[in-house]
Amino acid sequence: MSKPAKSQWDFGELFPPAETRRVLSVWELTADIKRLLEKQVGSVWVGGEITNLRAQSSGHVYFTLKDAAAQLGCVLFRGTAAAQRSLLADGQKVLLQGDVTVYEARGQYQLIVREVELQGVGALQIAFEKLKQKLAAEGLFAPERKRPLPEFPQRIGLVTSPTGAAIRDVLHVVQRRNAGLEIILAPCRVQGDGAAKEIAAAIRTLNEFSVAAVYDRRFSTESDTRRSQTAATNQLDLILVTRGGGSLEDLWAFNEEPVARAIFESAVPVVSAVGHEIDFTIADFVADVRAATPSAAAEIITEGVFASREFVSEAPALLHRAARRGFDSASESFSQLGGRLARLHPRRKLNDSLQRLDDLQSGLLRGLKTAARSRNLVLENLAGRFLRAKPTLSLKARRETLRQLEKRLNALGPEQVLARGYSITTDTASGKVLRDAAKVSAGQALTTRLAKGEIFSRIDK
Amino acid sequence: MSKPAKAGDAARGGLPFEEALKKLEGVVEAMEADDLPLETLLARYEEGARLVKICQEKLAEAEVKIQQLEKTAAGELKLKPLDLAGE
Repeated sequence: MSKPAKSQWDFGELFPPAETRRVLSVWELTADIKRLLEKQVGSVWVGGEITNLRAQSSGHVYFTLKDAAAQLGCVLFRGTAAAQRSLLADGQKVLLQGDVTVYEARGQYQLIVREVELQGVGALQIAFEKLKQKLAAEGLFAPERKRPLPEFPQRIGLVTSPTGAAIRDVLHVVQRRNAGLEIILAPCRVQGDGAAKEIAAAIRTLNEFSVAAVYDRRFSTESDTRRSQTAATNQLDLILVTRGGGSLEDLWAFNEEPVARAIFESAVPVVSAVGHEIDFTIADFVADVRAATPSAAAEIITEGVFASREFVSEAPALLHRAARRGFDSASESFSQLGGRLARLHPRRKLNDSLQRLDDLQSGLLRGLKTAARSRNLVLENLAGRFLRAKPTLSLKARRETLRQLEKRLNALGPEQVLARGYSITTDTASGKVLRDAAKVSAGQALTTRLAKGEIFSRIDK
Repeated sequence: MSKPAKAGDAARGGLPFEEALKKLEGVVEAMEADDLPLETLLARYEEGARLVKICQEKLAEAEVKIQQLEKTAAGELKLKPLDLAGE
């Protein structure tokens, strides 16, 4: 820049010639700065706190974004989505995406805001609700697609960090319950950037592993037995996706869409257990079963074996009691049979007959007494009637009847016949009436009755 | 020769646990229900006792086995043992 000095008094060109200067207008300089800023900085994400928020009647919103050390003028133009505008408020911590530019009229650089996101817990909650609504609308949480867990899982996939608290909790419960599980761990990070993708990948890898067994079986050249054993070895009964408690940010990976999608697509039923009882994640909503904690998940998974262990330990007593009861009731019916048999004994039958006879006898006596009593009644009745009847009238009538009868008797008697001249001859000795002359013999004495008197005679021949 | 679904179990000791347990439940239920002839009761009791033994053996041999699944760069799935005891 400087030439060698000729002397100490040579001050050089204190005022260079005017033609060597390049003087810019303010506008030109500003335009240069603007170009430079837009090219070098351009589109950025920046985080800070909103202050001095001014909404103009034009519809544009102006505010300052600041942090402890600096501030930045920002503008949100009218055309930007209303949802973004509603997030703006003084004191609000936000993440802004936009283009850095220069407002020439004021000579100020500023950020033209395109997108606003809430920073911190607020932002996460809003993102959570948004994703939850979106996935619910797609049917990822539909209760009808929840699959039941196998009662006795033998082989499970585990998606968690190999160094976290969750895996220790799970193993502790499984070992305490002596559940005999085969666990296939697909290790992944469970928090921080990229954790969601790792979790999703782990779920997919386990599905691949489980399904691979089917392919093995299909393409294996080994014997049938060998193949089905391979299948049995690799098939996963369920996948447990888990991590221990932490802040909302720590658990955030389980609220991200890739995890939700991977769980939704899993052919193997998924149990989700993230954080503590109070923490509900998107993963919990999509999973087939949600457990409150990693330990609770392990308990759910091992419940079948645990309960069956109790049953098996009780079973001998149950069997014994049932058998005892069976024998008791058999011996009871045996003694009942004995009783019935005794009743069938012949002596018993004889006794029965005798008793019946007794019964009949007493019945008969009773019947007789009853009958006698009723006869007496009839008799008394008749006597009464007899006494009530008029004896004189009756006597006259009877006399008349007697006379009539006497007349009819006379008409039938031999007197009438004898009166007409007939006679009756009888054997004097026997008194028998003679009807046949051949039945008499000579010297026999006969008696002949006439209407008046009798003749005694003797047969000559 | 037909193979049950859980061939591994069958190979180890006859009836798989799940099946033995279901049968045992059935036996206990049948015995608790009324009116089994004495011979049947006795046969059931013996069968139940046998099933209890099978179940107890299966439960006794239960141990936790844990392996780590990894996917190689080539996309192959590999299982390797995982020892958590040191951690």
